[in-house]
Amino acid sequence: MKFFLIKLLALMLFSFSALHASAPATTEALSAHQEETYKTKPFSEMVGGFLKSTGINALMNPDPNEKNSFGEDMSDFHKSWGRVLMILLTFFLFWLAIRKGFEPLLLLPIAFGGLLANIPVAGIAGEHGFLGVIYGMGLSNEMFPIIIFMGVGAMTDFGPLLSNPKTALLGGAAQFGIFGTLVGAVALSQLGFVDFTLQQASAISIIGGADGPTSIFIATKLAPELLGAIAVASYSYMAMVPIIQPPIMKALTTDAERRIKMTTLRHVSRLEKLVFPVMVLTLAILVLPESTPLIGAFMFGNFLKESGVVERLNDTLQNSLINTVTIFLGLGVGSKLAADQFLVPDTMFIMALGIIAFSVGTAAGVLMAKLMNMFPGHKVNPLIGSAGVSAVPMAARVSNKVGMEYDSTNMLLMHAMGPNVAGVIGSAVAAGVLISLFQ
Amino acid sequence: METNLVLEGFKFMGLGMATVLLFLVVMILCMNIMSYIVHKFFPEPQPNLDPAVSTQKDNKKIIAAITAAISHHRQG
Repeated sequence: MKFFLIKLLALMLFSFSALHASAPATTEALSAHQEETYKTKPFSEMVGGFLKSTGINALMNPDPNEKNSFGEDMSDFHKSWGRVLMILLTFFLFWLAIRKGFEPLLLLPIAFGGLLANIPVAGIAGEHGFLGVIYGMGLSNEMFPIIIFMGVGAMTDFGPLLSNPKTALLGGAAQFGIFGTLVGAVALSQLGFVDFTLQQASAISIIGGADGPTSIFIATKLAPELLGAIAVASYSYMAMVPIIQPPIMKALTTDAERRIKMTTLRHVSRLEKLVFPVMVLTLAILVLPESTPLIGAFMFGNFLKESGVVERLNDTLQNSLINTVTIFLGLGVGSKLAADQFLVPDTMFIMALGIIAFSVGTAAGVLMAKLMNMFPGHKVNPLIGSAGVSAVPMAARVSNKVGMEYDSTNMLLMHAMGPNVAGVIGSAVAAGVLISLFQ
Repeated sequence: METNLVLEGFKFMGLGMATVLLFLVVMILCMNIMSYIVHKFFPEPQPNLDPAVSTQKDNKKIIAAITAAISHHRQG
């Protein structure tokens, strides 16, 4: 019965196509078009042609005419085994995100974008592929990081910073990671290991700010060709904050320092919280207009939140908008994980410099706290210094966790939020400085 | 030309760190001044009354929740 049905169906299809073929073409143009695009071929040739279009074939026998998303030639390695390697790497990133819980919100979209970008033939990350379109829509013009900043602003509470303003210095000190690495990167170029320009070195060093959107913002402005590696380094190190930071924090502090209890935070009035964003933005306007795209967006989100009268907008910024943009941002960054752009020696150096930047930033924050304790006034627990790198709120949580290891009654979380949000401002200012230097 | 690059890096570092720290120091000063002004001229209306009412309410809520939990436990 089943066979009969199939036969019938095949017969119908065949007769239909035969009819169609024998029917005289309505217009000459159409028939010419058909002749151009379709010629009857024996079945074996069809199968052969199909096999040539498979992914396996594309990976085994790279197409010599294939171009990358910049329209440049690619090496055979990047068309074949490089892609396989990158696809395996994205599987590893899936594992990190799902099993280890490393920033899954961003790592998963990035990794999947990377998987899609490495598919041969389909050209998803190319100019007309959907990843390419997403990239052009919001990454190459720095739109997505800015929107993310608005959402982060709406999620940020400046209360802890306002009640203990001097902790902002810790957020400033941690930016030393950025500039220290900048020197490191140019020194590497000097020694001839790599060939980083000052722009590229600056874009790499901003990883030390531990701020994903800022890194992407700077990378697209100063060194778009390094975006994939920088974004991946930045987000993966942010995700590894709980692993990277504690050893550095412990190495630089004494047992007594880690047990320092900080005075309770005072109450911050609503008006203070409302004035603060406008005040910081005014300062940024006066001192460093180059940093205002980032700080302006950040403070816009925060102002909406603290105004208390636009709950709907605030809710959209904090949830639906930032989530939507995170998906696009992740996929867009993932598109830069194409083998020809990621599997280059530079990437290795970027990853290495990134972790140095991050560690130096952490150390500088802790040391700054120790320095502040030399002056009279309320003592600062140096463990909150590490939160000066801006990875909000992960770095603050790490400070809290390490503090609790030594004294389970010592709650440092809110104290660490102060330097943490100051770190966001600090890295935005640092970004503004770098941009202004290349104007 | 070659030696310039590292020197440039140090220049960037000096300028960058100075700007960041200066910005934050000015920000801290402004924050202190702003807090002073706000507390002096625009104090929050009756800060003592509100928490007392809310804690009373909270206490009642907590008592209600505990009572409910106990009765649920006894029933179950």
